[in-house]
Amino acid sequence: MSERRTAWLLFVVLVAQLIVLSLQAPSPGAGGNFLENLLLRLVAPVTHSVAAVSAGARGAQDALRSRDDLARENATLRRDVERLELEVLRLSRLEQEMERLGAALDYSRATEGRLRVADVVYADHSSWLRTLILYTGENDAERNQPVISDAGLVGRVVEVVPGYAKVQLVTDRAAAVGAMVRRTRRQGVVRSGRDGLELDFLPRQADVQPGDQVVTSGIDGIYPRGLPLGRVVTVDEGDELFLDVTLAPAVDFGSLDQVYLLPPRAVPVEDEEG
Amino acid sequence: MAMTIVRYVAALLVAILAHAAGVWAAAEFALAVDLFLVLTVLYGLRGSSLGGLAGGLGAGLVEDVLTAGPFGLHGFANTIVGYGVARLTQRLVVERPSGVLLVAAAASLVQQAILASLVLLLLPQRELPEPMWLGIRAVGCGVVATVVYVATQRWRRGAETRKLARGKPLRLD
Repeated sequence: MSERRTAWLLFVVLVAQLIVLSLQAPSPGAGGNFLENLLLRLVAPVTHSVAAVSAGARGAQDALRSRDDLARENATLRRDVERLELEVLRLSRLEQEMERLGAALDYSRATEGRLRVADVVYADHSSWLRTLILYTGENDAERNQPVISDAGLVGRVVEVVPGYAKVQLVTDRAAAVGAMVRRTRRQGVVRSGRDGLELDFLPRQADVQPGDQVVTSGIDGIYPRGLPLGRVVTVDEGDELFLDVTLAPAVDFGSLDQVYLLPPRAVPVEDEEG
Repeated sequence: MAMTIVRYVAALLVAILAHAAGVWAAAEFALAVDLFLVLTVLYGLRGSSLGGLAGGLGAGLVEDVLTAGPFGLHGFANTIVGYGVARLTQRLVVERPSGVLLVAAAASLVQQAILASLVLLLLPQRELPEPMWLGIRAVGCGVVATVVYVATQRWRRGAETRKLARGKPLRLD
């Protein structure tokens, strides 16, 4: 092919990609592109094989640990189990109390429904555009399904192919989550910041202090209310209207190897289209 | 042509495996080295502008699958980089390791500049990567591209020598 034709081809390819990019601009990271779906089908099993090899190596390393280490760890775990059993008893009493009060108020609980476990087969939480790829097994995930860990909210499913799902992390540049300060119920929007997360749109007169826990507010129609997002680290006077609030994420994204999928919420039609 | 595509797919597969293993081993790996850009540069260094364009497009789109954000972001950037490196190679002879290092490092900076421009246009959070990581990434890409380039050149020369030795007629003096 002549250089002139190649230059034209370059022009066509770039314009086509710009069109595809601008079509996604209203909801970046929302997924749904045929080519992305096709490539994810091909790439996800490859990353899964790397994760499997890594898990195997870790298992072999664990198997080689000395007997003394294991005995010590066993004793610690037994103590932990006893402590946790007591905690479970206490929490089950609290849960019964909550259920009774919730039923009285006709209150729908935040994590209602069955949780599904999914393995993390690829995690890129440090680069510019952060993501996870999950192995969901035979039961496929659904788009916009919230993803949580035992520490708090991880993100939401943005792309689904058979057996795998791509997750947009809450720390991703394009992500935004409706949030509130648990102590005062003051609402804002959590987004990715330079040093973790930021809580935006909190008026200057709002009562917020370092150490306050921030949870999902449920107003975005995707995440249920009450999932931990992080803790307030700093509160600075921002511009004329809003405070600059930085958060430390509740989840350690570097240690995720298993996550849970919450049942998807009914998203209003105009939100899905917009 | 078919062999070239098979080789490219194999190289892409190796890049995906190495990238996934790198990210598992160290969280900052994806920040420090972009193996898909390295692949793009190496295909551009062959001097074919069509090869550079296609190589960059393929590697970029696969990279888009492994990152969040709009699909096509890296595809766009790597297409330009692949084509640009190929056009540069048509005008300059880039064979020394230092030349490859410079080209790959510059390509990384150009890619980051294109990505930053697109992110500023498309994403609501107008935050750019830290300059320190830009430098580390440029050096990382340069070093990896040089190592792979030198290794493949040596392997190719060795294979050619073996082929020539096999083809020599027997001399019975």
